[in-house]
Amino acid sequence: MTLHRPESLDEALSLLGGGAVVLAGGTDVYPGLRDGPPPSRMVDLTRVAGLRGISLRDGLWRIGAATTWTDVLRAELPACFAGLKGAAREVGSVQIQNTGTVAGNICNASPAADGVPALMALDAQVEVAGPEGPRRVALEQFIRGPRNVDLRPSEIVSAVLVPEATGQGAFRKLGARKYLVISIAMVAAVVEVSGNAISRARVSVGSCSPVAVRLRGLEEALTGATVAEVPGIVAGADLPGLTPIDDVRASAAYRREAVRTLIARTITDAMEVRDVT
Amino acid sequence: MSPSISLTINGEARAVALDDPRVTLLDLLRERLDLPGTKKGCDRGQCGACTVLVDGRRVNSCLTLAATLDGAEITTIEGLALGEELHPVQAAFIENDAFQCGYCTPGQIMSAVGLISEGSAGDDPERIREGMSGNICRCAAYHGITIAVQEATRNMIRTDKEDAA
Ligand SMILES: Cc1cc2nc3c(=O)[nH]c(=O)nc-3n(C[C@H](O)[C@H](O)[C@H](O)COP(=O)(O)OP(=O)(O)OC[C@H]3O[C@@H](n4cnc5c(N)ncnc54)[C@H](O)[C@@H]3O)c2cc1C
Ligand code: FES
Ligand code: FES
Repeated sequence: MTLHRPESLDEALSLLGGGAVVLAGGTDVYPGLRDGPPPSRMVDLTRVAGLRGISLRDGLWRIGAATTWTDVLRAELPACFAGLKGAAREVGSVQIQNTGTVAGNICNASPAADGVPALMALDAQVEVAGPEGPRRVALEQFIRGPRNVDLRPSEIVSAVLVPEATGQGAFRKLGARKYLVISIAMVAAVVEVSGNAISRARVSVGSCSPVAVRLRGLEEALTGATVAEVPGIVAGADLPGLTPIDDVRASAAYRREAVRTLIARTITDAMEVRDVT
Repeated sequence: MSPSISLTINGEARAVALDDPRVTLLDLLRERLDLPGTKKGCDRGQCGACTVLVDGRRVNSCLTLAATLDGAEITTIEGLALGEELHPVQAAFIENDAFQCGYCTPGQIMSAVGLISEGSAGDDPERIREGMSGNICRCAAYHGITIAVQEATRNMIRTDKEDAA
C-alpha cells in the first residue's frame, strides 16, 4: 500500500481511481483497515491547500472537506448553526473531534452519522470535485443509502455548502449513555420564530431510517405553533419518513416512541434558545 | 516503498523509516521507539488509553497513521515530567488516587493535559466529565479522575498567574 499526501486539489484528483481510498481524519477508515486486505493506495486530503476551514461568500457558508469537528466548534457561526455545533460536540470524543471531519462523516454515510441530520436541517449541499470540474448536489440526494453516496471513483467532496439563513438551530442525540456513544436517534432543527410562533421550521431525524430524513409534513404543521403547542402537534403528526428497525442499540418500537419526545424537545430548545456551546 | 518521516517526540528530533505505511503512531511508539508508556486498549478509538498530543492536540494514537505525521510534534506520557518533578496533572492523579490498576492512566493524564490547554472546561466537574469522556476507565476511577483534573486545572492557573506576576 502506498500513502499519498497531495498538496493541491489537482494533484489529489490525479491520484484517484484504481481502488484508491480517500482519507481525511481516518476515524472511520482506520478501524476498518485492520479487518481486511489493505487498499493499493490511500490519498490523504489533510494537506491539500484550501480544504480546511469555514468561510462565507455570496450567501453560502463553505465548510472545506478537511474541516474537523473541533474546527466547527471553534468557528464563529450564526445561530442557525447551533445544531451543527451540538452535533460536533457529540461526535465520539474530543480525540475523535480533533481529527474527524464533517465531510468524512457524510461520505461514510452511516445511518447514525450525527452530522447528517444537522446538515440536512440547514439545507446543505455537497460540492464535488472531479476531472470534469466541480458539481453540486443536495445532501439529501448525495446520500443514497447506508454507505452509498453519489461519488464516482474519480471524485472527492471538496466542501459542504450551507445557504445563509436566519433562525435558531438545535440538536439532540439519544444514546445508551451520555457520551461517546452511537445514536439510537438524533434530531436537528432550525426554527424561525416571529412573535411567539414558528414562522418556519426545518426538522431532520437520523438513525430512524436508512438515511436521515427531513420531516416536511411536520415542518408544515408546525408553522404558526407556539412553544406550548409543539408537543401536541409532534405527538399527533404522521411521520411516514421514519422507518426504524430493531438493532443492537434499540428496538424499533422504542425508537418510534422516543423519537417523538426527542423531536418536540429539540424544537422547543430552538425556540427557547438553549446555549449549546 | 518505505517512507521516512521526521518527528519531534518529547522534544527530541527523530528520523524514522517506516517499513509499512499502515503502522499507527501507537505501534510506532511502543514497538519501535521504546516508549511503551502509551497504552493499547481497544486499538479502534473507543477507549482513549492511547491518547497522546500531536502538535498540542489530543488524539488517539491508534487511529493515526505515523506516515501522516511528517514534521509533527508528539508529546507522550514519558515527556511530561521535568526530570524528577512531576507534571501538575501527574501529581494531582497521585494525590487524589485517580486510578486503580493504572492501565488507562497515561491516556487519562495526556487527555487531561489536552483538556486543560483547550481551556473550555475550567474546573466545572460536568464539563470535565464531558471533556474526559473519550477516556474509559475499566476500574471506574472516574470520581478521583474528575477531582484530580479539577485540582490540576486550579494549580496550573495559579502557577500561570504567579509566573505572570
Ligand atoms: C470511537 C469512535 C466514535 C465515533 N463516534 C461517532 C459519533 O458519535 N457520531 C458520528 O456521527 N460518528 C462517529 N464516529 C465516526 C467518525 O468519527 C465520523 O464519521 C467522522 O466524522 C469521520 O470523519 P473522518 O475525517 O475521520 O473520515 P475518514 O475516516 O477519513 O473517512 C470516512 C469515509 O469518507 C471517505 N472520505 C473522507 N473524506 C472524503 C472526501 N473529502 N471526499 C470523498 N470521500 C471522503 C473516506 O474514504 C471514508 O470512506 C466515531 C468513530 C470512532 C472511531
Ligand atoms: S487503544 Fe486507541 S482508543 Fe483504545
Ligand atoms: S485505573 Fe484501571 S482502567 Fe483505569
